[in-house]
Amino acid sequence: MASFSIKLFGKSLRNPVMNASGTLGYGKEIEPLWGIENLGAYVTKGLSLKPHHGNPTPRVWEERHGLINSIGLQNIGVDRFFNKYFPFFKEKKTPIIVNFFGFTEEEYVACAERIRPDQLIIALEMNLSCPNVKQGGISFGKDPAMVHRIVKEVKAVTQIPLIAKLTPEVKNLQEIARAAYEAGVDGFTLLNTIPSLVVDIQRRSIPIKGGLSGPVLRPVALKAVYEISSNFPVPVIGTGGIMNYSDALSFIMAGACAVQVGTATFIDPYTIPKVVQGMKEYLKQVRCPRIGNLMGAAHSPEKNNFEL
Amino acid sequence: MDDIEGKIIQNKEIAPGYHLLKVKLAKSMDPMMPGQFVMLKVPDNEVFLRRPFSIYDYDQKIVSFMYKIVGKGTDLLSRAGRNARVSVLCPLGKGFYIHKREAYIIVAGGIGIAGVHALTQMLGKRATIFFGCNNIAELPLLGDADKVNSYVSTLDGSYGFRGNVVQLLAQHMEVMKNENVEVFACGPENMLKNLKKLLKKKGVPCQASFEERMACGLGLCFGCVKKTVDKDEPYKRVCKEGPVFDLWQVSL
Repeated sequence: MASFSIKLFGKSLRNPVMNASGTLGYGKEIEPLWGIENLGAYVTKGLSLKPHHGNPTPRVWEERHGLINSIGLQNIGVDRFFNKYFPFFKEKKTPIIVNFFGFTEEEYVACAERIRPDQLIIALEMNLSCPNVKQGGISFGKDPAMVHRIVKEVKAVTQIPLIAKLTPEVKNLQEIARAAYEAGVDGFTLLNTIPSLVVDIQRRSIPIKGGLSGPVLRPVALKAVYEISSNFPVPVIGTGGIMNYSDALSFIMAGACAVQVGTATFIDPYTIPKVVQGMKEYLKQVRCPRIGNLMGAAHSPEKNNFEL
Repeated sequence: MDDIEGKIIQNKEIAPGYHLLKVKLAKSMDPMMPGQFVMLKVPDNEVFLRRPFSIYDYDQKIVSFMYKIVGKGTDLLSRAGRNARVSVLCPLGKGFYIHKREAYIIVAGGIGIAGVHALTQMLGKRATIFFGCNNIAELPLLGDADKVNSYVSTLDGSYGFRGNVVQLLAQHMEVMKNENVEVFACGPENMLKNLKKLLKKKGVPCQASFEERMACGLGLCFGCVKKTVDKDEPYKRVCKEGPVFDLWQVSL
């Protein structure tokens, strides 16, 4: 029997498949269809120090093979999440990764500080795509010096491993990753959605500006995973347009230790359990004893010693 | 709630730009409330996300939907033929609660009739229906509901009262004279806004069904929200806390 569990920051996850932040509600919403314990870890909706109401509608827009969203980080706030929803994950013995953000440096730090270490909390995932209101709304993740500073500040207030979720809208992703790494980040999630907009030619207007997700993003995210995992000795979680288990495997082979499924869940809400099942069957088929053996396999195909 | 495979057994135009779709499901759906909806995967690769449709009617694994062609998804759906395969995630959201009342009034604008059709069937003769549409060509949308007590308005005056459905209702306020009355509504947001103004004086209880662009239909993405008067969490999900809301709770 092939081993499907992975170790992440010293903790064991039953499989390497997670949801992407904000694509599985607060977790309970999927329960009528499948149990949350199917996940390797549940990634929370982006949480902030104070509750945040988000943007007016339209918040979602379909593109060819993609989805643009402008939810605006609506959330109930970090404290209410832990009071209202964390007991559910405790009961289900499902590890979580806490995605969080702020509109100022102070808010990031204060939010991270509120989260007490717990056996079930694998890591904090810092959303660096958030606009910095003190600097004209430019996202924190675009400026290497800012990334360095904010990662360092957050690291100083928490014992929980810290993952940086990077935005693709940067001049040089390596440089941003370097800044985060040197500030002590423990891992990366790659990538966040790509900023985009839609033009309505009938009304001659722009109905939505937001983040593009879905299969259109996949090759871009794969390249980021491939490059960052080659250059930094920390775990990389791959996400971007994973629709099925083959897509998930491509991220693992590109160097990710785990994957996050997002937009696909909106089309087929059973995508996550199907990806888990498909990957398990693949391992069996190629007689690979551990999923970890496939990690980064595409970097050096000659070293692979299991069946192709 | 389940994702059920189905095949199209009928997809016919009932009025210009409006279709009635009948799908035979591979298995029965869970018990539904009137006003609930489904997320339907349109059988065309050009359509990425599912589309939400109110459950128009449901009986013995046959579920039907009345829809208006409004964009690419519904346009491609209107071209799907018999036997095309669809998957139907259902039943979703919170529908209309039928409280024990002495009188029920249903107000529907245009394709909004699809959202209250199941309700009209359940209430039968106990309900008075007010239906507004653009012109006489859209009258078939009312379907078998016209057998019960109903009033019709058209914007161009080609049938019934000339004007919108809220103006029509304003002409018949005597239907509200019973103290124990409840209003159910579904239609464009402007209609609901006008309805709220009209009913404000009397403070009549009203449940209204709203629509919004959706991605998941399950409450996962927070894409389809309506602003409510709730101070703590003003934006409520149409797919999860709705699509039927207490009209007095929604900010319009």
